Amino acid sequence: MTTDKATSQAQRSRPETLGKRLLREHAEVALSSWIRLWRTPITNLLTWLTLAIALALPGTLIIMLNQAQGLANQLHTSNQISVFLSLQTSSEQAQAVAQQLQQRTDIKQVTFIAADTAMQEFSLASGLGDILQSLTDNPIPATILVEPQLKSADAIGLLAEQLRQQASVDQVLIDQLWLQRLQAMVHTSQRATWVLATMLALGVLLVMGNTMRMQMESRREEILVIKLVGGTDAYLRRPFLYSAIWAGLMAGSLAAIIMTLALTLLQPSLTDLASSFNSTWQLHNLTIWHWLVTLFGSCGLACLSALLTVQSQLRQIQP
Amino acid sequence: MIQLEQVSKRYANKTALDHANLHIPRGAMAFLTGHSGAGKSTLLKLIMLMERPSNGRVIIDQQDLSKLNGNQIALHRRKVGLVFQNHQLLEDYSVHDNIALPLKVSGYNNLDAGRRVRAALDKVGLLSKEKQLPRVLSTGEQQRIGIARAIVNKPRLILADEPTGNLDPKLSAEIMQLFEQFNQVGVTVLIASHDLSLIERLPHPKIHLHQGHLSGAFIGSN
Ligand SMILES: Nc1ncnc2c1ncn2[C@@H]1O[C@H](COP(=O)(O)OP(=O)(O)OP(=O)(O)O)[C@@H](O)[C@H]1O
Ligand SMILES: [Mg+2]
Repeated sequence: MTTDKATSQAQRSRPETLGKRLLREHAEVALSSWIRLWRTPITNLLTWLTLAIALALPGTLIIMLNQAQGLANQLHTSNQISVFLSLQTSSEQAQAVAQQLQQRTDIKQVTFIAADTAMQEFSLASGLGDILQSLTDNPIPATILVEPQLKSADAIGLLAEQLRQQASVDQVLIDQLWLQRLQAMVHTSQRATWVLATMLALGVLLVMGNTMRMQMESRREEILVIKLVGGTDAYLRRPFLYSAIWAGLMAGSLAAIIMTLALTLLQPSLTDLASSFNSTWQLHNLTIWHWLVTLFGSCGLACLSALLTVQSQLRQIQP
Repeated sequence: MIQLEQVSKRYANKTALDHANLHIPRGAMAFLTGHSGAGKSTLLKLIMLMERPSNGRVIIDQQDLSKLNGNQIALHRRKVGLVFQNHQLLEDYSVHDNIALPLKVSGYNNLDAGRRVRAALDKVGLLSKEKQLPRVLSTGEQQRIGIARAIVNKPRLILADEPTGNLDPKLSAEIMQLFEQFNQVGVTVLIASHDLSLIERLPHPKIHLHQGHLSGAFIGSN
């Protein structure tokens, strides 16, 4: 091997360092496999789109759910307890209850909403004004919003239990409970999305592997001849790895574009939904960071599958 | 240069070589003859490491081939020029790129490779065909391109498997003259052929293969 190198070096015009030579060889192969991509543009485009959709679907869900989790965490600061008084309670009695609650040391703040006020707000918000007007009795009870002193779930639960025992209290709702449910829902969706993402990543590996296998099959002759004239596995692997890198980059870019479009379409309706929770939350579109992760992830998957396939195919194709 | 020691090669229901001994010295030119299916290609394949012997050792240029693995196989093949009967040129490569292949795999840049490719083309007398695709060339020209590819790396050993199989007598004689030219500058040449009428007119030693046994020139004693 050393004598072989030495003689061939001596016969060349300019001696090249190993690093320079590798760099030149890689550049040549990168370029030639890029050119080769455009020999069958339609087939390649379809493969890239398939891969892009498989990447964009979990990608969009992950970005949305991560932001939804941010929203749920932001709402977490609300420890409010809503106390609904029974309908029989008079306005004076209700106010008395509110004042009494204000005295308690475990309560930070009390907001009293009289039955009439609650009714007005509701008829405005619901647009059912006329129908509600025609009712003789007000169906909406007076409500006291209680902000507890302590923030722990246990303390809030205990307070709610005590409030429930009070005379003229009809129902006690802890805001935290539905928040917890919301958070649990977001959390479960996130997990489901990761399961989905794993399955689709596996799909990407398989599609990519199959593409590589077909490429190598169509270049079987070439591989055989290169093996016979002394091409190493590394040399034979190179064009296929570069074609995988290019496919990964193309599929990744397409995936990022699809995700951007999907998020743009979803943005208005999600912002509306958030504002119904009194939140100014906004769905943000793809950042440069998301682009990079998508491109690298896509490239990584393509390379991994190419490495696995190409290695096993090279072992099979023997002169 | 080529040394076989007690080499056997058995396929499922055929013994191609049976305890064969052979020693072809450096710089020799020899013919390997035998009827179809005798095992001529098998012997060349053992030298190219396309097959492994069932028994015995194949030693090329003092290198025991049984010890070679992975990349060493590739490096060994670079030292041997191989000419096929059916030329094995790549259809979507130009003549130039076909011949440059052995150089590209060992890392030549385009400038140096181009120089060597043209030198090889010049030797086989087809310098004007550099840019063409192999399929527009005649069978004889294709065979000579195949030879140019085998010698472009300046190997010390050339193997040819039926290099004149598809050619008329005149072209065959020209091809043999090419091999003789390479041999005159010191390259060891081994040509498998059953074109007896052609071989008999040439003054080179003949090795005969029959039912797994070698006879004739260069037969090592054991
Ligand atoms: N991979 C294989 N598996 C099984 N049998 C094989 C294999 N390769 C060759 N053979 C058998 O070994 C014998 C020798 O084959 P080989 O190709 O070496 O003959 P040959 O002398 O080159 O013949 P020809 O002159 O027709 O080219 C043949 O009978 C062939 O059928
Ligand atoms: Mg044969």
